[in-house]
Amino acid sequence: MNLRRNPISWRFLGSICALFVLALLVPWGQLLAPARAQTQAAASAKQPTKTSSKSAPKAAQAEQLGTPNKGVGSPTAPVTMEVFSDYQCPMCGQLFQQTLRPMINDYVASGKVYLIHRDFPLPIADHRFNWDAARWGTAAARIGKFEEVDTALYENVRGWGADGNIQKYVASALNPADFKRVQKIVAGCLTQTPQEFRPPAQAGQGCSLDAFINQDIALGKQVPVQATPTYVFTKRGQRLAPGSGFVSWPLMKQFIDSLLTQ
Amino acid sequence: MSKAAPTSSGRILLLLGRVALAAVFLVAAYAKLKPQGGMPWSPASVKISLAMFAMQVDSYQMLPVNAVNFVAHALPPFELFLGLWLLSGIALRFSSLVTTLLLGGFFSVMVRTFALGLEVSCGCFGPGEQLGTKTLLRDGALLALSLAVFIGAFLIRREPDEVGTSVGAVATPRRAD
Repeated sequence: MNLRRNPISWRFLGSICALFVLALLVPWGQLLAPARAQTQAAASAKQPTKTSSKSAPKAAQAEQLGTPNKGVGSPTAPVTMEVFSDYQCPMCGQLFQQTLRPMINDYVASGKVYLIHRDFPLPIADHRFNWDAARWGTAAARIGKFEEVDTALYENVRGWGADGNIQKYVASALNPADFKRVQKIVAGCLTQTPQEFRPPAQAGQGCSLDAFINQDIALGKQVPVQATPTYVFTKRGQRLAPGSGFVSWPLMKQFIDSLLTQ
Repeated sequence: MSKAAPTSSGRILLLLGRVALAAVFLVAAYAKLKPQGGMPWSPASVKISLAMFAMQVDSYQMLPVNAVNFVAHALPPFELFLGLWLLSGIALRFSSLVTTLLLGGFFSVMVRTFALGLEVSCGCFGPGEQLGTKTLLRDGALLALSLAVFIGAFLIRREPDEVGTSVGAVATPRRAD
């Protein structure tokens, strides 16, 4: 076979090389892995994450108050959206104000979407109060008042982000009786909030909230969450690939509509 | 004979380069169009994938909603077309020019987004990949490869060809001398 003189041989050799290079370049691992990861993640979204042996007694203690429900809307909605968020991340606030609020008013209220907040406080020095904000939100979730406190936290992040006075905004979102209940749950948990803005803790009182926040973080690591906000949609038990960053409401609405009509 | 050897190796490198670029574009188009969450291939599932891609394009915060929708619905089919065009080798100078311009556009958008500190999904090979230094390096390398193929396509075209055909599908006329 004389390659130099035979153009057909050249083409044959070229085709073989092309197919070989093509096969090498296809990221088979990446293409196949998401399907497996999605199945595992969907299973984990249905079942609560197992807590470590250390946090188990705390979680058991927490059961007396009820597991925090950070969901908004009907759990039987055809589409579920989980949002992994840090209360002090600017893009999380933008997503909440400009996209999630219209979605809550429309698609969540009409039972089309079930929205779940997942705490994912980032280890960033500027986000000094993100863990404490997550604790207030989780405490409110344990008495069924998550939506009110969640909204207050996002709306007033500039205020409490500057001085750490989160309780001022939580108090304005709840009636006095509920606020006292939330204060009691969160007392002893706050680590960064200045002393004057902390509710008084009883002697020997432990903190049961961090175990729940750590559960959310563990779920986020399974996704995997690489930045906040990260959102994951689930339709009929099938978890779709995650997205991150700010998305405007018209485009998210278009996506949800395409999911609902599928 | 002494001149023919570098020409042949140049042609092989050019072939490998354009096939690599073609593969990248075909994989990128497939990743954007493929149904998510174990859904079967259907117009509805492809529509969901394109709507998801539109959200990724939107997260770059550069375009209005209508333009985002146009880009999100036009780009994957165009990438598929460009991949097949590069693979065919037809009019390689033009296909490599289009590829270089497209990759240059992607790269500049990614650099801008990274410089602004926006943490978004890259959207390069479907959902789930975060924009970062790794994706920037990869896109920069692809841009360099595309530029090399574009320059190579011009240089090879100017050289005499013993066989009378290029390695690609385009026939190169023999020189009269």
